[in-house]
Amino acid sequence: MRRWGYRYVVTPSLERVDLLALGLDEEERRRLFKLVDQDGSVLGLVSERTVPVARLVAGKLRGAPLPLRLCYAGPVLSNHPEGFSRQRETQQVGAELIGASGPLADSEVIALAVQALAAAGLRRYQVDVGHSGFFMGLLEGLKLPEAAKAAVKAQLVARDFVGLEAILNETPLRREEHQLLLRFPALRGGPEILDAAAGLVRNRRSDAALSELRRVHELLALHGLEAPVSLDLGAIRDFDYYTGVTFEGYGPDLGRPLAQGGRYDTLLARFGRPAPATGFVIHLDRVGEALQRAGVQPDPVHLEAAIAWSQGGLEVALRLGQALRGFGLRTVVSTEPRAAPTARSWATGLGARGYCHVNARGEIAVGRDRGWLRLSLADAVAQLAGTSAR
Amino acid sequence: MITIAIPTGTLLDDSLGLLRRAGVVDLNRAELGRKLLVEKAGLRCVLVRPADVAAYVNHGAADLGIAGKDQLWEAPGGHYELVDLGFGACSMIVAVPEASPLAAPETWPPTLRLATKYPLATQRFMQRLGQVVELVHLHGSIELAPLLGLVHGIVDLTQTGRTLRENNLRVVAMVGRSSARLIANQASLKTRSDTVQGLVTRLRQSVEA
Repeated sequence: MRRWGYRYVVTPSLERVDLLALGLDEEERRRLFKLVDQDGSVLGLVSERTVPVARLVAGKLRGAPLPLRLCYAGPVLSNHPEGFSRQRETQQVGAELIGASGPLADSEVIALAVQALAAAGLRRYQVDVGHSGFFMGLLEGLKLPEAAKAAVKAQLVARDFVGLEAILNETPLRREEHQLLLRFPALRGGPEILDAAAGLVRNRRSDAALSELRRVHELLALHGLEAPVSLDLGAIRDFDYYTGVTFEGYGPDLGRPLAQGGRYDTLLARFGRPAPATGFVIHLDRVGEALQRAGVQPDPVHLEAAIAWSQGGLEVALRLGQALRGFGLRTVVSTEPRAAPTARSWATGLGARGYCHVNARGEIAVGRDRGWLRLSLADAVAQLAGTSAR
Repeated sequence: MITIAIPTGTLLDDSLGLLRRAGVVDLNRAELGRKLLVEKAGLRCVLVRPADVAAYVNHGAADLGIAGKDQLWEAPGGHYELVDLGFGACSMIVAVPEASPLAAPETWPPTLRLATKYPLATQRFMQRLGQVVELVHLHGSIELAPLLGLVHGIVDLTQTGRTLRENNLRVVAMVGRSSARLIANQASLKTRSDTVQGLVTRLRQSVEA
């Protein structure tokens, strides 16, 4: 994420509950872990970090010019036993692009999320891009009392299409409108569905959503991401929070999304610094589960060179260590003298990719296959750095 | 391969009948009962307890499932509820002993004590009424609890009302109507939309026919 110019920020784990509530739906608010502060105000342990980041942007970073690109990583807590392990504490990584509107910003954030999933080692994944404006336009276009609209929204958010149909049967809607509301969640696929959808609706907000989606799709293709991206007009998200393009990333064989994000242009205004914003979160625990199921082993190498030394060889060993670190190799120099024959098993135990030994005369031998290769310091560095690059 | 979770018990025969009529898969009860997991016609069918269908689907272990609405009230979230399959129709009701003075909600005591297998649905219904309840969570023979004085009444399912009558119980409120539903995992609908949607459409058409 830093390669995309996103600055790493740290936000508090504990916030006032009314503040956290701004970014949460009712169910999520209930699931917050809460505690009471000395002055009687109620605090919550963060269950997501978009709201804390928004507050940071409107507060401490008030003077920083927009757009701001920020990213974060850390634990979040939710009093909701989800998944098999029923963990309360999970790990999230996310990014927010604040102060930029339009499809270019939307597609940047989606592309970043996809790259992050790929960088985690996932080989197969899929991203569904939707737009909350499409459904909202649809709903506004209907001649329905507010209560009925709220009921329709509630059934959709609960993903209960049987309940939705029951409600629609009691409304005076025309048959086409009725069918449209029941079937639009299945509008999913490539850019061709945008044409199909355009034929179904006649209102400005839905049309605007469709043309934004078309542009996002084109831009993602320019990012080289045509293959894993589908358009999903039936994407059902928290309609009160998201204001534009939304997306979800899925891995194979995992019942829940790995990444979720979208545009939330109204949140920043609530902190007194109105700005368009979009961002995403990756659920690291789910990514770990997906990797495990896909049989991807985590990279066990955390050490690239281990240097053992015999009495008298310490000075050279330390110099060699510095030289290797200068080349960016993760290097350990033994804290006690160690004879050459034991160096190999010591280095293997540390999980080092390469290893060498410095004898009492300051001569360097680099371990190779089962034997040793006597080399000068410069050649030893080249050899070990080469080993690590291979 | 698509996995579908089929419930044991009263919904089993109708579920298998529907899958057969829709031309999805022809399974007989004995075959499935013996093995619990059968692969046939490109479909993996698993037989699970009615209360567990939603869990299999919510976690993505099954792409599709057939479950009574009564069970879905107890396991919200994580799945799409797509089709009302029509069979397994019953009502969730509040019932009290014949001799009880309790009738419509106005006559209920400030704290109503109820026994049920469905604590979530009961809680939600009573909250809407503004009725405070004390729940006793039981797993079977609910009808017994009020007769022994453990509770004021019960919240349970009834199809014909016969069991209630036999135990001298009288219905005082309706919590909701239940029937079998087709549910789908949220990710399956996205990541395998063609196959899953295809199955859903066939089942829907068969139900509507």
